[in-house]
Amino acid sequence: MLCEKCKKRTATVFYNENINGKVRSFSLCGDCAAKMREKGELQDVTSMVGSFADPFSELQDHFFGSFFGLPSPSYIEEKACPTCGTTYREITKNGLLGCPDCYKTFEAELESTIGAAQGTTRHQGAVPARHRAKQKLEEKRKELKAKLDAAISKEEYEEAARLRDEIRKLSANEKSDEKGEN
Amino acid sequence: MTWYQTVGQHPDTVISSRVRLARNLSGYPFSSKLGAAEANEIIEKIGSVLEPAGFRKIHFSGISPVLATSYVERHYVSPDFANKTSPHALFLEEQEGLAVMACEEDHLRIQCILPGLSLEEAFKNARRTEQLLDENFDFAYSEKLGYLTHCPTNLGTGMRASVMLFLPALTMGGYMDALASRLSKIGLTVRGLFGEGSGSAGCMYQISNQVTLGFSEEELLHRLEDAIKQTIEKEEKMRKSISGDALDRLTDRILRSEGILKYAHMLSSSEFVKLFSDVRFGISLGIVNDITYEQLGELLVETMPATLTLSAEHSPKTAAARDMLRAKIVKEKLTHDNRGKE
Repeated sequence: MLCEKCKKRTATVFYNENINGKVRSFSLCGDCAAKMREKGELQDVTSMVGSFADPFSELQDHFFGSFFGLPSPSYIEEKACPTCGTTYREITKNGLLGCPDCYKTFEAELESTIGAAQGTTRHQGAVPARHRAKQKLEEKRKELKAKLDAAISKEEYEEAARLRDEIRKLSANEKSDEKGEN
Repeated sequence: MTWYQTVGQHPDTVISSRVRLARNLSGYPFSSKLGAAEANEIIEKIGSVLEPAGFRKIHFSGISPVLATSYVERHYVSPDFANKTSPHALFLEEQEGLAVMACEEDHLRIQCILPGLSLEEAFKNARRTEQLLDENFDFAYSEKLGYLTHCPTNLGTGMRASVMLFLPALTMGGYMDALASRLSKIGLTVRGLFGEGSGSAGCMYQISNQVTLGFSEEELLHRLEDAIKQTIEKEEKMRKSISGDALDRLTDRILRSEGILKYAHMLSSSEFVKLFSDVRFGISLGIVNDITYEQLGELLVETMPATLTLSAEHSPKTAAARDMLRAKIVKEKLTHDNRGKE
């Protein structure tokens, strides 16, 4: 379905308005909806809903962009990623983020959108090798810390000192690894 | 032998299996924000690992549109990738069905395509290539969201697994809409290979996972494979149930299609797909005996517009010339190949 304003792009925003019984509805693309919003021609923002243009198209899996139907306050729209400069407005327009750091920058804004598209926001799959090494180190540190706490509570101070040194060594190794990477 | 020249498990119903992993290098913006220099740098870096591992590099900026499209027709790249104007390259290892697109929507799309139902093996191959790259580069990743991708629809595993199925009986029975709506409830999508939606001309459909986040790769693959096996079962049951008058009519249609396919002087692309589908169905029912799945598989790719054009000494200028060339290639493969064997 084409946008009824520009008649060029696919309509992804479906707007229904009911003001004192006067009903208006539009099928719009993201661009035209944004323009009308700027001009104040779309009033009843709560009834603006995104829809799937073609959820079955794997090659054009940008349908995610259409989840961003609801308009956001302008201070959020103008918020930009410090790494790549991409604004939230750009992201809502085409459903694509600018760089990996955008996920951190817009974490709060994206949470519900990602949940709606994926059903969950918690990764369960494979982990990159470098991250696995970090995880292992973290687990080891936690294990030693628990042993250290136990040793202290049992007043086994010699053992506690040994464990403390081991933890320090772990942290020092990690730091030198990081330096090596850079 | 490439994926379309051979058959795998369940050849009556499954054409191919594909698994692709989306990855991005940390420290770079995503593809649409990459400068040409950065894109070339990524291509160089990827090449430095993949080329020594036996991959062939094809720099897409330097090839003709028709050659680029022929890679789409062989399912090694996406149409979007073929049409990109900024630097992008393909790394190909055809024997293993491995294709790595560099600077597609994501920096890396690592995919493996194999004949028949072989999701597990396709995943293993793609994963092996991914790990080779993982040893050398830092992928954009967060503990919470998994692999970070340009579009959030690929977050998490970054994995899209799909199986191309041949479902003539379910199509004829009008069950495809029902199947699509059932599959969508468990996070899977169905797409016709030719034409949109349920009216796929060649009765070929791609079923894939929609969700990429929140499940392990293995869970996603099992869920897809389970659904595929159930679909195959239903298709086979439908095929067996065809009998009596309906079977006579179907047999007549299939044999007529075989005749046209072998002896036509001109074949349009859409007519070829229809005849292909009938004859492929005929092989599975034991009605067509002197044509193999392998021959048909090769023809499906060789008769596509770009691949067809490339195969000719003088590229055909008109649609009629193309249709004649298509008919000639089909006739040669289906009549001469067999004579050669005898």
